[in-house]
Amino acid sequence: MARAGGITNAVNVGIAVQADWENREFISHISLNVRRLFDFLTQFEATTKSKLSSLNQKLDTLERRLELLEIQVSTASANPSLFTTS
Amino acid sequence: MGTMTASSLSREASNYDEASMQQSLLFSDSLKDLKNLRTQLYSAAEYFELSYTNDDQKQIVVETLKDYAIKALVNTVDHLGSVTYKVNDLLDEKVDEVSGTEFRVSCIGQRLRTCQEYIDHEGISQQSLVIDTPKYHKRYILPVGETMHGAVRTKSKYQGCSLDDEDEWYQFRNAVRATITETPTSSARETPTSSVRETPMSAVNSVRRGRSPSPSGRPPPQRSATFSFTSTMPKKESEKRTVSPHRFPLLRSGSVSSRPTTPKTSRPTTPKTSRPTTPSSAPAKKRYPSEPRKSASMRLQAEKENNKDAEQYPSKSKRLLKALLSRRKSKKDDMLYTYLDEY
Repeated sequence: MARAGGITNAVNVGIAVQADWENREFISHISLNVRRLFDFLTQFEATTKSKLSSLNQKLDTLERRLELLEIQVSTASANPSLFTTS
Repeated sequence: MGTMTASSLSREASNYDEASMQQSLLFSDSLKDLKNLRTQLYSAAEYFELSYTNDDQKQIVVETLKDYAIKALVNTVDHLGSVTYKVNDLLDEKVDEVSGTEFRVSCIGQRLRTCQEYIDHEGISQQSLVIDTPKYHKRYILPVGETMHGAVRTKSKYQGCSLDDEDEWYQFRNAVRATITETPTSSARETPTSSVRETPMSAVNSVRRGRSPSPSGRPPPQRSATFSFTSTMPKKESEKRTVSPHRFPLLRSGSVSSRPTTPKTSRPTTPKTSRPTTPSSAPAKKRYPSEPRKSASMRLQAEKENNKDAEQYPSKSKRLLKALLSRRKSKKDDMLYTYLDEY
């Protein structure tokens, strides 16, 4: 009887250990996927920031060029008699 | 047709607005789902924790928790994927808009540069109309043989001409007139001792100066023409030359440009072609490439002047001829020199 009880205990321990390893494997998969998701989000943040910075730079350049063009247009249109001569 | 196109354009615009509105609504919904997902995950974790501690069937709770975690992770990945795609698309769209705006700005800048160039051109034309261009005669501007085509070229020629050229031309003309008018008087005024005793080199120089009708040629070419010939000849050459029957060409050889230009001037009776005047004629010719054309008129003028001299002083010319003839007979230069001394 004792031998049979020991065998069953050993089998239960083995099943429990196997289940524990399966749970650990599942958790490791989940954590790996979460880390991948985190890496993706980090990379996305970096690319988005660079794109936004380049866009901001372009917009600044455009703003300055538009200001320059406004000034040039104002100086060119200051003497409209030049454009009226045929 | 216009109303149809306007309506179609308005429909397209409304469709574009509706599509953009739908996309923005979906984007905002996905962002809200992402925000709610965190609370849902926290609430699900609390629920499973309580159920695991209270419920007897722990295995079923664990399996349910596993399924929920997998589904929550997949849902989160989907949400994040859609949100990042939309954000990326929005950023690309904005970048394209900025590129289009840059293109438009560059077009505007190009138009503005064109306008500026037009303004500058108009200003230059207005200012150039104000400036009075100096007007000269054609002969003072254009070289011989060149024609003018168009007013622009005329303008450039006028701009290229300077007052110095006109001054030089004026000085040259005055010098030529002065030499022409001074020739008889100066030849008459010329002292015989100075002409006869003149060294050959100085005579050569005088001949060279007389033969070069350059604008700066102030010494008159005719002044030394009559005397330099006799003075340039050494005695031996003069003796040899007296043998030749061409006596008047000898006198004419004192003209401006008859001797050096033609190779025939080296007469057969004179074997020494290297007279002191001939080597100096080549560089003089090189120095003034337009000499033959101008010296032709000078030569004609000199001949006219010589004819005048012959008319004015017939007795002197006769005496000179007699002296030459007697020189031929006696083959001595004494009479010529005496005549020249008297002359």
